[in-house]
Amino acid sequence: MKLVLYSGGTDRENLKVDKAFIKLINKKNPVITFIPSSSYLAEEEFRAFVTHYSKFKVSRFIHFPVDIPFDQTIFKEVLRSDVIHLAGGNTFYFLHSLRKAKVIPHLVSFVKRGGILTGLSAGAIMMTNDIRMAGYPEFDRDENVVKLKNLKSLGLLNFHFFPHYRDNPKYEKAFKLWSRKYKEVILAVPDGAGIVVEDEKVSNVGPCFLFDHGHVQVLKRDSDLDW
Amino acid sequence: MGTFKQNPTQTPGIRHYPHFSHINGRHPFKEFVPEGFVDYSARRLKSGKITYFNFDLAKEMGLISKDHPHTLNSELEREIFQTFNLMIINEYDLEHKIKFSEDDLLPHKYMATRYLQLQHPDKAGRTSGDGRTIWNGTVRHQGKTWDISSCGTGATKLSPACNINKKFYQTGDPAISYGCGLAEVAEGIETLFFSEVLHQNHFQTERILAIIEHEKGLGINVRAHQNLMRPSHFFCHLKQSNYQNLKAVTDYYIHRELENKNWPLSQFKNDKEKYRSLARTIAERFAKMSAQFEDEYIFCWLDWDGDNILMDGGIIDYGSIRQFGLFHAEYRYDDVERFSTTILEQKQKARYIVQCFSQISDFLITGKKKSLSQFQKSAEVKLFDQIFEQEKNKNLLQKIGLKKQYQEELLKNQKDLVIKFRKAFTHFERAKSKRGVYKVADGINRDAIFCMRDILREMPQLYLSKNQNLNHEEFLDVIKSSYAKRADLKLTPMRKRQIDRFQRFYNQIVDHLSKKNGEPRNKILLDITMRSSVINKFDRITGDSISHIVQKVRHLRPKLSPVEMDALVKEFRNYQILDPDQKRQTSSVHERQKHIMRGLSTIVRDCREGL
Repeated sequence: MKLVLYSGGTDRENLKVDKAFIKLINKKNPVITFIPSSSYLAEEEFRAFVTHYSKFKVSRFIHFPVDIPFDQTIFKEVLRSDVIHLAGGNTFYFLHSLRKAKVIPHLVSFVKRGGILTGLSAGAIMMTNDIRMAGYPEFDRDENVVKLKNLKSLGLLNFHFFPHYRDNPKYEKAFKLWSRKYKEVILAVPDGAGIVVEDEKVSNVGPCFLFDHGHVQVLKRDSDLDW
Repeated sequence: MGTFKQNPTQTPGIRHYPHFSHINGRHPFKEFVPEGFVDYSARRLKSGKITYFNFDLAKEMGLISKDHPHTLNSELEREIFQTFNLMIINEYDLEHKIKFSEDDLLPHKYMATRYLQLQHPDKAGRTSGDGRTIWNGTVRHQGKTWDISSCGTGATKLSPACNINKKFYQTGDPAISYGCGLAEVAEGIETLFFSEVLHQNHFQTERILAIIEHEKGLGINVRAHQNLMRPSHFFCHLKQSNYQNLKAVTDYYIHRELENKNWPLSQFKNDKEKYRSLARTIAERFAKMSAQFEDEYIFCWLDWDGDNILMDGGIIDYGSIRQFGLFHAEYRYDDVERFSTTILEQKQKARYIVQCFSQISDFLITGKKKSLSQFQKSAEVKLFDQIFEQEKNKNLLQKIGLKKQYQEELLKNQKDLVIKFRKAFTHFERAKSKRGVYKVADGINRDAIFCMRDILREMPQLYLSKNQNLNHEEFLDVIKSSYAKRADLKLTPMRKRQIDRFQRFYNQIVDHLSKKNGEPRNKILLDITMRSSVINKFDRITGDSISHIVQKVRHLRPKLSPVEMDALVKEFRNYQILDPDQKRQTSSVHERQKHIMRGLSTIVRDCREGL
């Protein structure tokens, strides 16, 4: 299983995560599929995405919005790509669209077949068991614009992912509380940092805050995680 | 007499919106063409509320300052009301000696212009023209003069109803609809959404400046453009062989175009050169316009009267305007007494208008009106055909997603290849359903079955990914629309050949550009991919979607302030930018408007292949 979870931030801030991602591909001129969280104004996002990864000599991209109908020809090609990227945006709307388009089982199979799945913010949350993190904490959450009740997502990871984490008492308190209440692990990652999963190995690129049973552990830069 | 245009500012002597005071019924057309209009006294209305004010357009016109916030303060509101919330005193009112308060009377008269209209029994433009519209006046800002007119300001004697039934109508007479002189707010909203999107995408069009609502969904729709003259303003005088008036209209029109620096020449050696330039310029403009309409699937009912189009090829009167999602080449609007032209017949009508301008030009130069048939092969008609062809080629290359430099290279050195691809493209674009012609809500149609935007958007991506052509089945899977039934999608030997031709020529174009520019093929395809994803966006507006959007906005509108409407229109316009070189403005709408936008984009999506 090969996954890369981006938190957010600028291209420059993400350089280290990008390098880790490119290393993971290990193939010349791969095909990368870009799945925006919503097709609304996604062309701009796609263009920025292409411009960014072109710097790493990638020139084959597919733009694949899932909240509009698509044909089987392009869908087949998407599933044959080397990388599928789940973009950022409203996590609830994104999950709703992926589910409605019946894409989720295909993404899981894609990963099991060895395909690389990357995600940014909402896209990274999507790889976990459910998207509860999108609605938490109260002061920094996505609006559930589609009134989604079933929050189950791809279920590829046994931890929660919280992007755009800010290292301050307000956030720390909120996540300690949550991890104590639900007894589940949260990896909270600030912008510019990320998580790379390669088979059984989970490692952080840049700083990462691990919340477990009401405690926080600040992980040093670029370490392998084990808990 | 009552008080007019009282200074509404809090600071005595200072008027914050001084340009509004110039919009008072006076218009240069009146001096140039004294017989070209009917003048009406007008009175100010007391009721009504502002539904919409176009802040961006008002800034372009200099009515408000560039840094004016997009909010309506009481002073601006008052200016809009005092300037545009008015009703004419028509022949019926005078005949019946209807009394109006002296305080409400406006000091100047407002004109309804005369022009040719095919609905009128006269057929020569003696009785036809603005039936429910008056021209408010002009404003000049940064070297451009703008015309402003208002629709829904009362029944004039130039309406079809008045002339068919040979009587004057009271404004608002429920016995007649179109001729009653009033307009619906819904018409204004339709024009607003449609025209703002088309304007953003480089179409010439009238635009809505303001909408003032009255009771029962009626209102006044204020429109603006840099020159609101139509070919029909010329044609009525041509039909009547009235040299003086025809010359006056032409001189007026060219004067304005020169004033606005919208004319290819800045001065003329003599009248001959001046009037030649009229026919030539119209030929160029109408060739470009009709090619653009055809390629962007704009259905505009062009006819011999030249009524539904502006002189610069701009769209006016959105009542019968549509944008199709597919090339529905056999759609005809049913106007009870007649069917409209089809999208393919528009070119012939545009050429006919050019032919008329050749006749006008000759008439003005020689003083003798020759038969129109003598101008069937005039230099301007030939020029029209030539430019139309060039534009069709250029438009197709633009649609593929090629940047300007590549388009120019291909048009210069690979014209035959472009024409071959266009032929293959047209084969699929014009393919029709086996279902045949059938009745639709407002006319008849025979469905197009292929969505060219989809194939142009997906093909470069699939080439990048697959490194090979699509097989026949894949090609049809991508290009088929929801209108295509199994019988329409049979893979006949002919169709297979056409699929191969389409892809062969497309690839030859890409390969040529790759070789010529020393760029890898994938780089060219990637550039096309990104541009094409904007140009051939999945959800593009259609006439159907605009109709549904108007319903939705009308439903929401009681709770939408003019400022919120402005933000919503701006966001919608932004969402429908189909020009990859145009930068989108950052969205500044609030959560509530975002929610509304989601609803509107769903409508656009659902209607994307329709009429």
